[in-house]
Amino acid sequence: MLRSIDFKDLRQKTWSAIDNRVRIITAGLGLHELRAVLRGDPPTEKPNPRFKVHTTSFIFHIRPRYYQKGSTILTHTFRLGFMTVVFYTIELITGVILMIYYVPTPDAAYSSVLQIMGEVPFGNLMRDIHRLGAEATVIFTFLHLLRTYFTGSYKKERSFTWFTGVILLGITLFLSFFGYLLPWDQLAYWAVTIGTSMAESAPFFGTEVNLLLRGAPDIGAGGLLRAYLLHVILLPLLAVLVLSIHYYKVSREHGISLPARYEEGDLPAEKTKEAKRRIDFLPDLFSHEIYLTILGLFLLLLVTIFFYGGAPLENIANPQQTPLDTKAPWYFWWLQGLLKLGDKALMGIIIPTLLVILLFAVPYIDRNPNRSFVKRPVAVSIGVFAVLVLIVLSYMGLPQYGIETPAATRIIQDLSPEEGEGPLQEVSYDQLQQGIYIVNETPTDRMCPEMDFGCPEFEEFFTLYTEKVHHAIEAGSLENPDAVLVVEDWQEDLKKVTMRITWDDPETGERRTYEKHIYVHKNSHAGITIPKKMAWRAFTANVTI
Amino acid sequence: MTAEETQERLPVNRREFLNYAWLVSLGFFTVSAAGATYLFALPRFREGEFGGVITVGTVADLPSVDAPPDNYAKTKFWLSNTSEGLVALYKVCTHLGCLYNWNGQEIKYICPCHGSQFEKVGTFILGPAPRDLDQFVIRIETPEGEVLVETPPTGDPIPVPDVPNAIVKIDTGLRIIGNRVA
Repeated sequence: MLRSIDFKDLRQKTWSAIDNRVRIITAGLGLHELRAVLRGDPPTEKPNPRFKVHTTSFIFHIRPRYYQKGSTILTHTFRLGFMTVVFYTIELITGVILMIYYVPTPDAAYSSVLQIMGEVPFGNLMRDIHRLGAEATVIFTFLHLLRTYFTGSYKKERSFTWFTGVILLGITLFLSFFGYLLPWDQLAYWAVTIGTSMAESAPFFGTEVNLLLRGAPDIGAGGLLRAYLLHVILLPLLAVLVLSIHYYKVSREHGISLPARYEEGDLPAEKTKEAKRRIDFLPDLFSHEIYLTILGLFLLLLVTIFFYGGAPLENIANPQQTPLDTKAPWYFWWLQGLLKLGDKALMGIIIPTLLVILLFAVPYIDRNPNRSFVKRPVAVSIGVFAVLVLIVLSYMGLPQYGIETPAATRIIQDLSPEEGEGPLQEVSYDQLQQGIYIVNETPTDRMCPEMDFGCPEFEEFFTLYTEKVHHAIEAGSLENPDAVLVVEDWQEDLKKVTMRITWDDPETGERRTYEKHIYVHKNSHAGITIPKKMAWRAFTANVTI
Repeated sequence: MTAEETQERLPVNRREFLNYAWLVSLGFFTVSAAGATYLFALPRFREGEFGGVITVGTVADLPSVDAPPDNYAKTKFWLSNTSEGLVALYKVCTHLGCLYNWNGQEIKYICPCHGSQFEKVGTFILGPAPRDLDQFVIRIETPEGEVLVETPPTGDPIPVPDVPNAIVKIDTGLRIIGNRVA
């Protein structure tokens, strides 16, 4: 009986059974063909089964069958659009995971974020990835826009694709902006207050827009819930919709543009022909995309784990107190800079709206059919100019620019900010030796002779204090100052740090004092026992006499 | 056939190797992400929450053997002291999940939904329920934290130690499934 089984036949049958299953799963690729794809070999069957996949499989159906060789040149696209989608996907996944614990109410939001950071395994990692991924998405979306602009890839049949791309840029910024409010800390609360106040200054419908966004005249439970809904439902849905349209145009209608030199240069015919040669999606582009995906994930994780101090979380939102140096997220600094230039309706709404309309209309305004750099000097210079203006405006948007803060307040704020961490928080608890240190009297070295290894961090801090006071004296903003630093043992494991600056007021001729007390707990200290981001919860008090 | 055989003998070339490396990395990443998400999503309970450890008091606070059981409504158990020993019974009927009640006249638990009845110690008497009542692990500790007695995995009632200031804790995260009715 056993002898009658033909083993060769059995092997053959098993093979074809597996092969058939695989063909069903891969929508047409057999085992041999699959290996040929991985090896980069030509198709093993005729007709080419790799094209069939693009009809039968949904995932491959939405991808093009081929790219033109010229459009795959790395320095032409830098894969920016693809990477944006990778980061969007990461945001989607980590976002859903964070939603497991996040509660969108003012009472519970902050503590649920603390719970994610302090109690939940991998909570910090998920939050940091989500935060950093959001910044990466904004950066890559913007770079993708710049690339498209400078390679002139928005012209003719690509006009509408550009249009949808600008919508996507807006959605990305708003997604990020409303996500900013959700931790319900001082940073979030005041950044979003500023943002929505800009909306209020819009003519005709400003008040209504502001009410709709905030759910009340100021941000409260309603505003938080609305921001949450926009962040997790409406804007992501819109993003998927618009992205589908955007990508459909690229993959089905016009493809990725060729570098201009192949379209309008005087290249020999065979070079142009080579640039237009088709590169099949399977196997070459597919392999490349797997590589890009894993590269993106790897770099994001690498940066998150080793180079990122952690997504910030300040003290819980306090609608009664605006901290000094409140600022918008960095991608809105340009708008803050613009706002410092004039009327808030004009600078905050009308000019930005005009700029956005202009951005939408770029392909319809720019009728120059040429795409190469040299043949569109005006467009290229406008582009470079616009980027420079954005950078300058962003600089002007910084809290250090154009907001007058008395020198003493500025110095102490820089050394130990009201929210977040400053140089004082970098000094470890043990090195905060008690004593009275007077700028220009106490030497800035060998400050702790009784400590075995001295206190280099504390000396560095005091040196910085001294330097800042000197700068202010040289700039003429601080006359005849007495600057003091006092460290006291306040309670067990608690030190009180006082910074006091007294100076002559040039207007009244009287002496004025600004001082700030910072309480530093041993375990709440940066980088010692618990992660940095959880650390700084010192109480601060301001006294101006 | 010959074509297949020659292809099977092909060596792994550079691209195939890299493709495998990337796919394996991606797979590894997906599996780790899934693992991290699992640990992330797994709930953790604080002391005093249903699902965590609940301190009900000292041995002196326990109901006497003749008294009706103590009802812990929020943390979902009955603390039943019987002549056989102490049990913490999960409040949910083993039939279809209703909350059964203590019936003082009949001295047994009766479920209002389908009439299953259980002894004070949790054993099945009659009705459609398939098994004895489920219970939670009881741990009686000295104030210094030394465990005097703990419900065994079989779910047998535990004797109450004669240490009035010993602390009684119920671990609602550890549920012992009741014995099936023969």
